[in-house]
Amino acid sequence: MKNILTAVTATLALNVMATDVPVSGNVQMRCLITTDIPGVYGNPLPQKLSTATADGGVLPVVRYDVTLADSYKAKITTPTSFSSSPALIDTVTWTGSTSVAQTSDAGMSGYEAAKVTYDATTEYDLTVAGSTWFSATLSATNGYDKAFPGGVYSAVLVAECIAK
Amino acid sequence: MNNRGVTILICTAVFIAGLILTVDAKAHEMTPTYPKFESSFVSGVMKTKMRLFNRRNDVKYYEIGVFDSEWKPVPFVTSYKLLQMDYLETVSFDLYINTKDLSNSTYICSKSKLIKSDVISTGIASRICSKIK
Repeated sequence: MKNILTAVTATLALNVMATDVPVSGNVQMRCLITTDIPGVYGNPLPQKLSTATADGGVLPVVRYDVTLADSYKAKITTPTSFSSSPALIDTVTWTGSTSVAQTSDAGMSGYEAAKVTYDATTEYDLTVAGSTWFSATLSATNGYDKAFPGGVYSAVLVAECIAK
Repeated sequence: MNNRGVTILICTAVFIAGLILTVDAKAHEMTPTYPKFESSFVSGVMKTKMRLFNRRNDVKYYEIGVFDSEWKPVPFVTSYKLLQMDYLETVSFDLYINTKDLSNSTYICSKSKLIKSDVISTGIASRICSKIK
């Protein structure tokens, strides 16, 4: 009986075959824009809307993932008008600034110092492969310190990744 | 609570946080970065294939545009200039440009189109541009 069991076990063992399952992948040269946090305006004063944390807002955060070094530029343009709002009579003053919030590589430490700002746009040269998080502080102030009328206000920040 | 319990609790919290971050990721991707053109079935017209991936659950439409080095629009043909895409959908599309316009073409861009009513407080529009070399 013992011999039969041994023979059966040996037969089963012979039938068990290991198969290599190939897993392949391809990392393409690409730029990925991820909207980590859309951002929220706080209303610290009746005439002011701001995404600053101190003003009760939430900073919008955008992440850029690039898989090829020195091939892309990040351009972030802060809003200069509301995409929707109640009717406004006075001129709104817009301010916006973009900064590097976090990086995945120590080589990206120079991004902030090397940024180029014009109008409402800030450009970063993405010279290192990896992820970079950018945050933007936005504010809108109603003219003559008049309170913003009640309603829903929204504005759009534009994040661009341009191949060099 | 003993050390093992604390470890399990931390691991569970990290896993849930990771899951939330993964699920909530909203990304826009277009490849290739440097498209190559080839002859199409129409003489005098060149074509390339682009691929767009929508991982933004807040975006359903992407606009395609071709521009020269000064960001002036260049005429081109695709099946749709405004692509409707579901969340996590990948779309490959052929883009055709006249041979005479191709020498002036520098960028192929896709821009997310936000629906006005969907933007709450601040919205983020994303644009990715590939370069024709």
